[in-house]
Amino acid sequence: MNFKEVAKRAETGPLIEANDFLMQRVAANVLALKKEYDVKWDGKSLINLDDQLADRCWQAGKELLLRSGLYSMNSRRVIQFSKDEIDDALRLVPSQIIMGEGKEQKTAYHRGVEDPRPPFVMSGPFNADTHESMFIKLNEAFAQERMIDCLFLPGYLKELDGQMIRPNSGLSSRAAVLYGEWAREAVRRAGRPGMPIVGHSVMALNEMACTNEAYGLRKTDPRAMVLLSELQVDDVTMARLGYYLAYGTPIYIAHTPLVGGYGGGPDGTAIIGVASFIASVLLGSEICHVGPQHIKYKTQTNNHSLFLGSLVNQATNRNSRIITTTSHTTAGRAGSDQYAYEFSALELAVVTGGSNISGPRPAEPLGFNNVSPLMGRLFAEVGYAAAKLSREAASGIIEQLFAKYKDAMTLETAPKGAPFEQLYDVQKLVPTAEHQACYDRVKAELTRLGVPFCN
Amino acid sequence: MSEETIFAKMHSAIENYDADAAIAAANEAVTAGLDPAVALEKGFADPIRKIGEAFERMDIFLPELVMAANAMKAGVEVLEGALRAKGSAVVKKGVVVLGTVEGDIHDIGKTVVGAMFQANGYEVHDLGVEVPAPRFIQAAEESKANVIAMSALLSTTMLYQRDVIELLRNKGLKDKYFIIVGGAPVTQKWADEIGANAYGRDAIEAVRVLDAHTKEWAK
Repeated sequence: MNFKEVAKRAETGPLIEANDFLMQRVAANVLALKKEYDVKWDGKSLINLDDQLADRCWQAGKELLLRSGLYSMNSRRVIQFSKDEIDDALRLVPSQIIMGEGKEQKTAYHRGVEDPRPPFVMSGPFNADTHESMFIKLNEAFAQERMIDCLFLPGYLKELDGQMIRPNSGLSSRAAVLYGEWAREAVRRAGRPGMPIVGHSVMALNEMACTNEAYGLRKTDPRAMVLLSELQVDDVTMARLGYYLAYGTPIYIAHTPLVGGYGGGPDGTAIIGVASFIASVLLGSEICHVGPQHIKYKTQTNNHSLFLGSLVNQATNRNSRIITTTSHTTAGRAGSDQYAYEFSALELAVVTGGSNISGPRPAEPLGFNNVSPLMGRLFAEVGYAAAKLSREAASGIIEQLFAKYKDAMTLETAPKGAPFEQLYDVQKLVPTAEHQACYDRVKAELTRLGVPFCN
Repeated sequence: MSEETIFAKMHSAIENYDADAAIAAANEAVTAGLDPAVALEKGFADPIRKIGEAFERMDIFLPELVMAANAMKAGVEVLEGALRAKGSAVVKKGVVVLGTVEGDIHDIGKTVVGAMFQANGYEVHDLGVEVPAPRFIQAAEESKANVIAMSALLSTTMLYQRDVIELLRNKGLKDKYFIIVGGAPVTQKWADEIGANAYGRDAIEAVRVLDAHTKEWAK
């Protein structure tokens, strides 16, 4: 199905209220499909080990999209898809996508469950609030980590010259231009001028101003867009999509199913996750990102979200060629050991399920620049190691990691960490001795627990 | 029909998320001559509190919370009608005008907060998403609200929370309302900076915060 047809249906589909869509089409159907396909979490497991459950979850998710459709929030119309259209889209979805330029051209690919090939690693500030004074330095430090394939979401510019930026304002366009220029400058300084950059500069239509072949984000850089929970799309996303599809950039669509929301627990929410993966493909996505949210914890490393991440990826990667990736948001913040234990647990759960990796970032950064490029390196290393593990082997390590942080996994109780400028010598662009010691300590402990690092 | 039987029906209506049954049970309470204020407290308030607690424990999820809140709202309207006929009014904890600020289309967090407020005895006027600053104030004035609750899910839209407060200040209305702000990028520091009365990290905390301040607007 092409974008023209999807956009047309956003104007002509059945007209209904958003609440009715969410309650009658999403919540009611998830409830029915959970029973129909026997998709049930046992209440204990942190990772799915049951292939049949994964397959039933896939069938239920596909059926959910067929029954519910995708809701256009602004036109209040449902974009409906037929079974044949869904099957066609899944048959034609690319299983690999090229991005970046020159020596830094990279290929992201579909991975299967327990696929021994390493995941494609996307890491960067992950659009945590990034101060303009540190924007280039921070991104350069991420880009100089050679295991990171793609610079991921170089950071929100919340303010410029001390002035907060209002969406759709002139300043917002200026922020988008600078986002593109500074991200490009950062990868140039790191000696990787063609390094792909997943971009999503500001939450407004004028974010497209980040595009500039010479100085900003290029045709070969993926552009990220987000479906709203659950199974909803807004005009800004559709407008950006229309432009970026025509321009020819790789398309990266994220969805953020909410545990405790309209899908209920992790099992019902996984069904929504599958439906959202397929909806993303129908919109033209080539890399499909799941970033589950949690109504209570707000993180992706709690017990519900670990299982959900594992199930939704296994379901999708066993039954399709979709290139999936999972974002990693934690309760603990950069600079703490817990931060690394949390993202490692989730990586083990999802990489063994066929996912690529995006992140990490604290769910609640405290102030600007609350991320760490050194942790981006560890994130890549754990991702590579996870690809060597079976789900069964990963399961035991995840249990031990979860035990380390489960008593401090609320945002209030989790370690507060430190911003980039305290974790790094920002002149030399190297980690401080203390931050390096944190990396060494955590890596040694992960090794002891059985994470098979390459070096 | 005994008082206990009617209360049991009211409980069951909320526990089964059944708005029609809640209306029917409330009508039975009125017909039986029960004091509507007592019926509200004993018939609806008890089970809705339990629903709120079950949501906190994640024994139930958002659809159930919303359906229970809707069932309660339907039943309460019947009791309110009876009270008005007697020349009195339901004693509510407060009237809340709620919305997601301009430029922000995120709905779910705000819906959870609204349902939790309702489940805890507040009258809620949900203005939806992308609510312009003047609309918050207009709705608060029209509904004789005590509380203005604003959600913002983006770093770039939270500044509209500041604009609502600035506009209230300019109109001389700032002290008339208790203002609570929330949303992913919002912090206590931001709430203090813009002059909000409170910050709610999540729906559960937002209820606790309002409950702790009800005396301020009851004066």
